Amino acid sequence: MIEKIKETVKKLFNEDKIDIFIGYGTGTLPLRTVPCFITSSGDIEKLVWNSYCFNNLAVYLPRFFLPQPQKKDVKLPRIGILAKGCDDRSIVGLIKENQIPRENIYIIGISCNGMIDVGKAQNYVCKMQEVEIISAEEKSGSILLEDEDKRKVELKKEDILADVCECCQYTNPLIYDVLIGEEVKKNKNEQQEAFIKEFEKKPLEERWKYFQEQASKCIRCYACRQACPNCYCKECFAEQTKPKWIGVTDNISDIMFFQIGRIFHQAGRCIDCGACVRACPMGIDLRIFTYKLIKDVKEFFGYEAGISLEEAPPLATFKSDDKQEFITEP
Amino acid sequence: MEKEKLKIIKKNDVLKFLDSLQKEYEVFMPVERNGDIQFSKFSSEKDFPWNYRNTKISPKEIFFPQSETLFSFKAEESALSSGSMIFKPEDEPEDSISENKNYLIFGIRPCDTLAFSLLDKLFGGDDFQDTYYMEKRSKATVISLACNKPQVTCFCTSLKGRPDNEEGADIILFDIGENILVRPITKKGEKFIESLSSWFEDAKEADIKKKNEIMVQSFQKIRSTADIQNIKEKLDKAFDISFWNEIHQKCLGCGICTYLCPTCYCFNITDEIERTAGSSTSSGGKRIRCWDSCMFSLFTMHASGHNPRPSYKERMRQRIMHKFNYCPENFKEIFCIGCGRCVRNCPVNLDLREMLILLMSFEEIKEDEKV
Repeated sequence: MIEKIKETVKKLFNEDKIDIFIGYGTGTLPLRTVPCFITSSGDIEKLVWNSYCFNNLAVYLPRFFLPQPQKKDVKLPRIGILAKGCDDRSIVGLIKENQIPRENIYIIGISCNGMIDVGKAQNYVCKMQEVEIISAEEKSGSILLEDEDKRKVELKKEDILADVCECCQYTNPLIYDVLIGEEVKKNKNEQQEAFIKEFEKKPLEERWKYFQEQASKCIRCYACRQACPNCYCKECFAEQTKPKWIGVTDNISDIMFFQIGRIFHQAGRCIDCGACVRACPMGIDLRIFTYKLIKDVKEFFGYEAGISLEEAPPLATFKSDDKQEFITEP
Repeated sequence: MEKEKLKIIKKNDVLKFLDSLQKEYEVFMPVERNGDIQFSKFSSEKDFPWNYRNTKISPKEIFFPQSETLFSFKAEESALSSGSMIFKPEDEPEDSISENKNYLIFGIRPCDTLAFSLLDKLFGGDDFQDTYYMEKRSKATVISLACNKPQVTCFCTSLKGRPDNEEGADIILFDIGENILVRPITKKGEKFIESLSSWFEDAKEADIKKKNEIMVQSFQKIRSTADIQNIKEKLDKAFDISFWNEIHQKCLGCGICTYLCPTCYCFNITDEIERTAGSSTSSGGKRIRCWDSCMFSLFTMHASGHNPRPSYKERMRQRIMHKFNYCPENFKEIFCIGCGRCVRNCPVNLDLREMLILLMSFEEIKEDEKV
């Protein structure tokens, strides 16, 4: 697949269709890749494609199209981007919310059978930090790890897939300019929602307690926000000073306010890419809350984010028979 | 240090030892929490994690907590009735240092004690003393634990650090198996050991030999290096170089690198005003200082709306300049200890080591030299 990617990108540069390409390059740590920005076909060899390409690259797009009031007639860059199903749905969301112009984005869709969870791989080798992985090699469906004591472990990729990838329903991008790779089988739907159904069954107090526990780990580094393609606000409510909505401390009430605010701003927008969960240095289970929103929006309004450029998002439209029990009887 | 000053304590006795010190000290040690190791108050339920590598959050938070009340204030009744608000400071901040106990920081890594010695230069400098930091710092006895197994992200030897660095600690411990070798560093450390001599025995020749062997191995295990000799001089002329144009591209602009960093010290000061519901007046409030990060755009935002560091480029440059140029200028020290926390936890694997290596080898092509 990587050869196909390189070939496509090379062609785009040679035909002068893009100014910048965003893909993945080799990481400096085992089981990691690094987002890679390329501006000429000479740098194509830097690109890689493997099971560690988990960053959502769509997050980088809005910053290229920020309004620049002082500068007139700015030529907007044309950006090529490698998009897995999740990146792709984020891009769709950004186009719909007028953050990026469709005509300036060249989407190289790539079918994806899931990315690994570094934490899961580490825990397979050894709990906590007792043994460090020093190298990793991927071979057809399995990953060969070597630890610092030169011990080797071969893990099946499916055993260390990220939770979001295990549940992914959009392994194949939907909207693209060119597609690379063959269609990948979807995951089963029941499996997808089991964790959230279990959570929903719990009494309100227990769910609130779980939220408090998770929030108490937060150090307010805002990595969840910064890693999220949807969090492009020029000024985040958490940092507004006039009016000041929220204190700046690591007091639990400030943290909960931030988390609730950020998560709720994702209603009808979150596409379950898992970028926030991966970015969080403190291991907060953010997904249980974002996924609950996804499920509710789907059930109440029949809407799923990021799958169509035309369908109006639930927060931008109104129907007289819209469900409202969630307001009156939470 | 002369041989006779080296002591040993049995590993199995350490928890009992720490427990016995609780009367006199607020004891901090690495404790497993949420699947990570964090510095927390002593807990007799948890074993000391002898194999721990390092904590995710740096122990700077013991002396320089993420948020700290500097003082609190109350509205004057008389002024309230006339419609104005006059605030008077209250005597004691409510979350002031607990019970005036001394602090014992046990089992901290040598890189993090080095970070203390750097922060001391800032918060306890000749020109200015930060009472909030220094009060806690001066009450602390710091007992470090030398690294037997550095992590893949450790690059302390490229900076001032070593797996057995002594700077910033009062006592250093070496894990030599069944026993822990104890070496006092400061007078405070010597006195500490003398006053608790019943817990310790004299170290034998074999113990010292074993320690030396382990340390040699430990040095060899530090795999990553970044040759940054003369980085200050390099950066002196680097403010405008094109290096900065691309290096920040991958950065997401979160605060992980700065918040987890043991030497990042930037903070924000705000007033939290308590409001009575339904009323426009306030009964009082607190002045709080909390961590802030140069990676946030709000960090330099002016009231006018102008931001002198408007993009990721200026903010990334600031982070590197501050640590590797401004701090050497002001304190004669690089404010990086090579602990690798920023490397390990960066969500996009933007690696400081790699950035430094690129920077050191970067040569600006001048406009007129371009072909």
